[in-house]
Amino acid sequence: MRAVVKNGIGVFTPQGFLDASSGNSFLSIDDIDGTIAQNADMILVSMKKVIFFNRNGLDSFVKMFHRVRSANHCTVGFCDYDTKKYAAIVKFYRDDLNFSLFKTQEIALLFSANYKNQNKNILLYNEDKSQRAAMAIELHDNGHNPIVAQSYSEFKEKSAAKNAYDIIVTDTYLGQMGQKVATRVTGNAIIYTVSSFLDAEIGSTFNIAYHNNSLNVGFRLFIFDAYKVISMNVHALNFFSKLSSAGAEYNATICFVGMSFEKTPKEFKETLEDSGLMFFDQMDDILQNKDLLEELGASSAANVKDKRAINKTTVTELPNFIDATVATIEMMTNSKAIKESANISKIGILSTEGKIASSIGFYGDMDGMVVLIFPTGIAKKACELLIGEETNDTELILDTLAELVNIVGGKVKTLLADENISVDITLPRTYPDIDSLLEIVQDKKGVQVDLSFNNDKFIFFLTR
Amino acid sequence: MVLDNFYMIVAKIIHINIKYPIMITRKTIENFIQKIPPAPKALKETLIHLNTGNLVKAATVAKEDKALSTYLKVLVNKPIYGFKNEVSEVSQIFGILGVERSLQAVYNYMMTLLSPSKWQLFKLNRIIFYNLQADLSVNWEKILKYLDIQDKDILSSISLLPASIIVSEALFCEKKADIDLLRSVNEIDLNTILQRLCGVDLFDICQQIAQKWEMPQSISDILQSASGLKASKDNEINILGKWMHLLLFYTLSQPKYIEAELNDFIDFQIDYVGDIYEEFSKVMEIS
Repeated sequence: MRAVVKNGIGVFTPQGFLDASSGNSFLSIDDIDGTIAQNADMILVSMKKVIFFNRNGLDSFVKMFHRVRSANHCTVGFCDYDTKKYAAIVKFYRDDLNFSLFKTQEIALLFSANYKNQNKNILLYNEDKSQRAAMAIELHDNGHNPIVAQSYSEFKEKSAAKNAYDIIVTDTYLGQMGQKVATRVTGNAIIYTVSSFLDAEIGSTFNIAYHNNSLNVGFRLFIFDAYKVISMNVHALNFFSKLSSAGAEYNATICFVGMSFEKTPKEFKETLEDSGLMFFDQMDDILQNKDLLEELGASSAANVKDKRAINKTTVTELPNFIDATVATIEMMTNSKAIKESANISKIGILSTEGKIASSIGFYGDMDGMVVLIFPTGIAKKACELLIGEETNDTELILDTLAELVNIVGGKVKTLLADENISVDITLPRTYPDIDSLLEIVQDKKGVQVDLSFNNDKFIFFLTR
Repeated sequence: MVLDNFYMIVAKIIHINIKYPIMITRKTIENFIQKIPPAPKALKETLIHLNTGNLVKAATVAKEDKALSTYLKVLVNKPIYGFKNEVSEVSQIFGILGVERSLQAVYNYMMTLLSPSKWQLFKLNRIIFYNLQADLSVNWEKILKYLDIQDKDILSSISLLPASIIVSEALFCEKKADIDLLRSVNEIDLNTILQRLCGVDLFDICQQIAQKWEMPQSISDILQSASGLKASKDNEINILGKWMHLLLFYTLSQPKYIEAELNDFIDFQIDYVGDIYEEFSKVMEIS
């Protein structure tokens, strides 16, 4: 069984009866290794479709938690249960509860650094005082507004006002939380979340290959969410100085937000500023300031370090890329693709109206970027399979399009692996209009393949 | 010169005619249904005799169909049937099973006529599939005994349930990699994928199979209800559907079927079966 990964959270959903014999069958060694390789920020096991379980049944998942956590330092635990199931899990692991329990996946998301929608009013209650405090701190650090009920009667009273809160958190327990550098994309900025003590470890917990490739695919603004950082030592100082200098070659900006220098030497700040790093008190100081965003490069990809040409290795693998793309979109739209033309040139889009786009980068034995330009109609149709209904919600369509491009990326990865070419893929990026795409790719040369799905024109563009 | 060669390679590659995989459409489903062979003559006659309660004539006809008699022998000698000594003669098998269970066994055989010789989507083989049929059949009988229901068609209805697995295999086997990728980013089961792509689900297709093979209507009705998604207006059918849905997931929670990747081929509708779970756990002696 494999986890479904969305927004950096991997979720296993076993169904039916979970006892000693079935528990061991749900997870093979390959499944566990595959989960580690997914490098998610949270790994959860959903109990929503489990009707019966005992401790022996849960043990195989708990063993998986330990392995994944020791390899990836991510948050692990169970989710999607009712009060009865919660009580049973707590009873089974009373003295050994070192994983987390989230009543729903929505609640788990609140505790994830990847969560985009902040500023939620959250009522929370837990019998244990230290748990209440730990949850309130985590939620506050993640940009929410927690309201803590100190007793059950206070909770009952407060929760009666149903519209006063966006979410109510009960039957939730925080075990060891994740320590890895979580990544999320907001608009055209990449936000990394760092916490506690920054030392030499940052070199291993920060995914430098991912960062470099994000630079390659056009991201220019990188923000370190450092509200939870207690202190930084000289090894971390050197790391960030180097990162900033390397980014400067791409005209990229690296910012720190919310970093307190109470326990870090003040001169470190000057050293980092000298190497080009910028400091802000609040995330909104950057994200809500459009002029500043533009200045910092989050809406422009100008001054690309090197406009790299597409090379023979990439072109030789072109059929794999097209196959992966076409097969995925055919599967999602249930319509047949016809290849109309193929050229090596800069990207050419005859009509930019009513189109949206998405891109995904790949790196490893070979590197590059696949760009897909959809007429909105095809994008909506392709997303219907995943959403389950027709929608005009642009944000939902773009989010789902990102999933679709993720599938294309995964398929490319598999097809290349069959030829012993190993690549990793970046997070997908979406563009609500063609102008925002052109800022990234208009000067890049690549292979453009024009395809037609039921007479709707669709463009595939492969570049570096 | 080097650049010219490079562009020649490019030109050659981008003009390759790529063979894109076949999509799943209503036409694919129609083709699948069309290819289902009519029930063999001996099988039809066996069913007629069993339905009139004539076990001797049924056994005489069934013996003529070597595949049927071999299947019956393999099925009833599985440990779950609990016979101490090996049973080898068809007449002996029908005699021990009685009319209702013989009918159920023959319907189980009919389903195997649809199963592939080599499974690709699921990690199944002939033996595991036969075990699945046996596990479902014996436990369904246990449930009907508890519910105090004695009806040959209802007893046989369980035999149609594995057809949903066969249909999934037939429609999705060539798209396994795509399905795996799709399901790695979205929690979606095969039944929902089919419903969203073609507007019909696995259980609708099973119903068409039942119609083609002239199985009694009540069998299809119970199966539709057992999907957990289409509650029947008929209360008795609905209750039987709930028991069958829960029995399916009780069975698919066994290690051999989890390893065959059957556990999540369709969605378990846990709320649908909530009101019968306590009774079910008593019948199955789950503690």
